[in-house]
Amino acid sequence: MRRLPVYFLLDTSGSMFGEPIQALNNALSGMVNTLRMDPQALDSLWLSIITFDREIKEVIPLTELVSFQLPEITCPQSGPTHTGKALEVLYEKVKTEVRKGSTEQKGDWKPLLFIFTDGKPSDLQLYREMIPKIKSLNFGAVVACAAGHLADDKMLKELTDTVVHLDTADSSTLKTFFKWVSDTIEQGNKSMGTQESVALPPPPAQINLVI
Amino acid sequence: MSKTITVSSAITGKSYQYIDTGEPMRGGMKDVFFSPDKTYVVAFYRDIQDYNSRERLKKIVTQYYDAFFKKEGGEYYKNLYCWPTDMIEADRKVGLIVPTYHKNFFFKKGYATSDLIKGKEKEGKWFASAKFRNKQFALRLDESELGNWLSYFQVCVNIARGVKRLHSAGLAHSDLSYKNVLVDPVSKSAAIIDIDGLVVPGLFPPDVIGTADFIAPEVLSTKHLDIKDVNRKLPNRLTDLHALAVMIYMYLLYRHPLKGGKINDLDTERDDLLSMGEKALFIEHPTDTSNRPKIGQLNPKELPWADIMKIPYHVTGPYLKELFDQAFIKGLHHPNERPPAEMWEQALLKTTDLMQPCMNPSCEQKWYVFDNTLSPRCPFCGTRHLGTLPVLDLYYQFKPAVWKPENHRLMVYNNQYLFQWHVNRNITRNEKLTAEQKVPVGYFTFYHNKWVLVNQKLDSLKDLTEDKIIPINEMVELTDGKKLLLSKEDGGRVVTITMANK
Repeated sequence: MRRLPVYFLLDTSGSMFGEPIQALNNALSGMVNTLRMDPQALDSLWLSIITFDREIKEVIPLTELVSFQLPEITCPQSGPTHTGKALEVLYEKVKTEVRKGSTEQKGDWKPLLFIFTDGKPSDLQLYREMIPKIKSLNFGAVVACAAGHLADDKMLKELTDTVVHLDTADSSTLKTFFKWVSDTIEQGNKSMGTQESVALPPPPAQINLVI
Repeated sequence: MSKTITVSSAITGKSYQYIDTGEPMRGGMKDVFFSPDKTYVVAFYRDIQDYNSRERLKKIVTQYYDAFFKKEGGEYYKNLYCWPTDMIEADRKVGLIVPTYHKNFFFKKGYATSDLIKGKEKEGKWFASAKFRNKQFALRLDESELGNWLSYFQVCVNIARGVKRLHSAGLAHSDLSYKNVLVDPVSKSAAIIDIDGLVVPGLFPPDVIGTADFIAPEVLSTKHLDIKDVNRKLPNRLTDLHALAVMIYMYLLYRHPLKGGKINDLDTERDDLLSMGEKALFIEHPTDTSNRPKIGQLNPKELPWADIMKIPYHVTGPYLKELFDQAFIKGLHHPNERPPAEMWEQALLKTTDLMQPCMNPSCEQKWYVFDNTLSPRCPFCGTRHLGTLPVLDLYYQFKPAVWKPENHRLMVYNNQYLFQWHVNRNITRNEKLTAEQKVPVGYFTFYHNKWVLVNQKLDSLKDLTEDKIIPINEMVELTDGKKLLLSKEDGGRVVTITMANK
């Protein structure tokens, strides 16, 4: 049956070392637990995690929520942020993993993409090259999250209209953000209004949504 | 930081309190906070409510509340709904006071393998999906949460009654869904929540079109039209009846009646819209087989339920099969043909009279509907019934000396009871039965190798075949072809006995 594929692109560059990466792990596991309490999510949700620093790692390939085992995400003490390269890897993954509808089989729901970063792309040229390609994948939603004062909202705005800016990457802010992420993922299960429906739930108050 | 906030009724001025944790539970439209003693919640609409909406809410908590619950029999309905009791206004925000759900509707155990959902609400989806009862699924529900197949009949009867009562008051729920109907197969209860979306025809239009999986085809196929367009179809009593039929099908068969293998468009969103809307087609349609589920594409964790060849919908018995045909074949695109809630209630109840306990002690369903064959077997585990099986067909007096069949059959099993509603056709088995009418009038038992009916309360039980009165506290043997008059009063029925599985 139809799956809802959700991709997480997580920045593990040197600047995330220390408290931020701890907070990210904590928030992610909170989010997975929240989703596991939702029967609708368990019915259709598939998750993938890709991390990027100097290297791009597919930490978990697209996996059904029930079998999803979250590993500890680590990062080097220093190094560049290869966001462009990450998008390149993502592009290939989405192209092969997300099932398109055919005359024989129902396709997956439009995938969702969440990008979390605390800096700016070190491989700017590749990043810009990848943007139209990513857009061509027809994601249901692309949400970029910029954490901390070094994160560049403008750069992310080139990729998506939905940029969430977190002033800090501390544990409670990230938790709130990922709560909102799980709300976004679960949005499809709620009552639909008679007027055109909104794709994203309103973000929690302590987060700045750059639109 | 949590703070306790006091608010007051927009109607009476009565004050209420809630604890603002900063992290309310979020519904589709509302943010929900508990009162300090957790006996009620305060649910705030996130959006500003206009005059019309406030008037509607006011009516729901006053006029309709009184009409439903402050009348004779009102106590019964309190268990079927979670009805808002008051409306508040604070900082231009409108909120409702809603009683907390009964404790049966929170998981005592939850998952078989962890405590993750212990204490969480039992929304319907948990019990409508085959995965959560599959032993191979890591996050399956604990057996103690699942009930048996018969439990779901009582659950569905309660849902049907809740919908019936709303409709008889001229109201429509407009958003019956997993989230809005809580289900507990353990206590065999159900409660309709989110009553605030109630639609009053002509007076208050709906503000939601419903929840995916339950939206009626005509609502989806006109979704693109402007809300003021005369051809736009919005939720009403008839769309509730679609949602009710889907719900009953799902709680008995753990699959969706319209989600099959047919591709209507290569684009997922458009395909979904067509498959549930304009091009909706029953997966078990007897002649158009184009929407049959494709076995190879099913999630193995959803088997055997997802396989309509293994568990076809006629395992729910003849009365329900007929209603499913009416709802998903005739009425799918012709809303007026959909069976009303009361027909579902009666068909579910009559079906329980056709049920047999499965002889296999480890059968997961425990009960099945007699399949009308001479050698019955459980369709779920395949176990054959051993021994004879008396089948009682009910007749009513059409005119003196002429008896006609009721299309109602009672299957006998050891320690099965006979009730007033079997004996007399003037007594309907519904929520209006008195306590006295719920007391059995006799029971069936297999005694010294014979099937007998022991008379407990019938003062004019007569064996017509042997022309013999059976007094109270005596018994009569059930034999093939025998006729019994259950009561000589007006409305009293005759039963004829057939022995199956001889």
